Amino acid sequence: MNKSRSVIAGGWCVVAVAAVALGLVLASSSSAQETPGPQAKGKGKKGKAKGPSMPAPRNKDGRVTLGPGPGQNGFWGGGGSITGRGGASLPTNLMPADVPLQPWARALWQVRQKEGQKDDPHARCLPPGGPRQFQTPNGFEFIEEQDRKRITIIFGGGPRSWRFIYLDGRRLPPNDEDRIPTYFGYSSGHWDGDVLTVESEGYNEKFWFVRGGLPHTDALHLTERFSRPDYDTLRYEVTVNDPKAYTKPWDGGFTVPWTYTNWDGMPGGEMHEYLCQDNERDWERLR
Amino acid sequence: MRIRKFALLGVAMWLGAAISPAQEGHPLVGAWHGTWGATEKDRNDITVVMMWDGKEITGMINPGLDAGKLQKASLNPGGWTVHFETDMKDRSGAMVHITAEGKLENLTNVRRSIVGTWTQGSVKGDFTIKRDN
Repeated sequence: MNKSRSVIAGGWCVVAVAAVALGLVLASSSSAQETPGPQAKGKGKKGKAKGPSMPAPRNKDGRVTLGPGPGQNGFWGGGGSITGRGGASLPTNLMPADVPLQPWARALWQVRQKEGQKDDPHARCLPPGGPRQFQTPNGFEFIEEQDRKRITIIFGGGPRSWRFIYLDGRRLPPNDEDRIPTYFGYSSGHWDGDVLTVESEGYNEKFWFVRGGLPHTDALHLTERFSRPDYDTLRYEVTVNDPKAYTKPWDGGFTVPWTYTNWDGMPGGEMHEYLCQDNERDWERLR
Repeated sequence: MRIRKFALLGVAMWLGAAISPAQEGHPLVGAWHGTWGATEKDRNDITVVMMWDGKEITGMINPGLDAGKLQKASLNPGGWTVHFETDMKDRSGAMVHITAEGKLENLTNVRRSIVGTWTQGSVKGDFTIKRDN
């Protein structure tokens, strides 16, 4: 990396840390929020497409794919919220006050809001499972491995983690003492035409599954539906079913834009190297 | 008798392992350690294990051979007050009824605490337990 790019990268580290700090103060699921998408660095460039979108790319079988088209680059980044409306959030979402929380969960969520979400595990670099994985800065990619009958999602944000969605028809591991709860749970999916439907469970309770701090328990079961109405748009819909935290299942979702540039607005369409440093307390001296 | 003791120990170990991952879910779920006593100098170690099934808080005090099963355990999220009772053996081996009334402190932190009053038989004291990480 040459000096000018180092300066740009360093500057963006500062911006990223400042954004996280500001987000911790301001972030609230009381209104639809968007993770900052790729922004230009001084040259007015934007990572998002201008004008009408191209059709979604398709594989040799004619099914929509969630990655770049042939010979293209790019990634997804900048999702909204599964509660609240407007922006990237779906117009059918529940408002936060209408989410069917159990009393303890509602009270806990309210405390987290009041405290500015100061104890958000994501801010301590713990992996973001559930919808939160699509709400974090630095983007994500779907890698479809047809031979292995699975999709790998790699995340540029947080601790640079990944998630497997198995498409071989396997059942989710039974909920017994042999199943180790994890941040991303266990996922099994299938394609319904152009919609990827994924069932997941087996989550641990060490993270917040959405930005804003709605609680979940180890009983969380998610049904996610991924679709791509056009090249530039990923539509994410999820049914949240957690009888230990909610009185009934509920739905939410948001869209995510396709990113053509690097995160800093430079050409390339590739996720950059980003490392979230656990318990970092002296970021101003990181150069 | 020996088999029963080993079974109890096994259950206690399994409970500890089963709840250990919980941190950000129901605020009472997990293993808690601390003391109770009538005075600052007279302290007794206590371990409380609590679970949440969506409707009830269950668990035990001092998992092991002389564990006491939690009774009437409740959480009032209005003021984050906690109540539980149990019957278990005291140091002399006699059964004694225990009632604990506490309040959750540092609620959103993984290492949150419950602080309050502990009544064991006719002895009244205070208790503090902190959640394991």
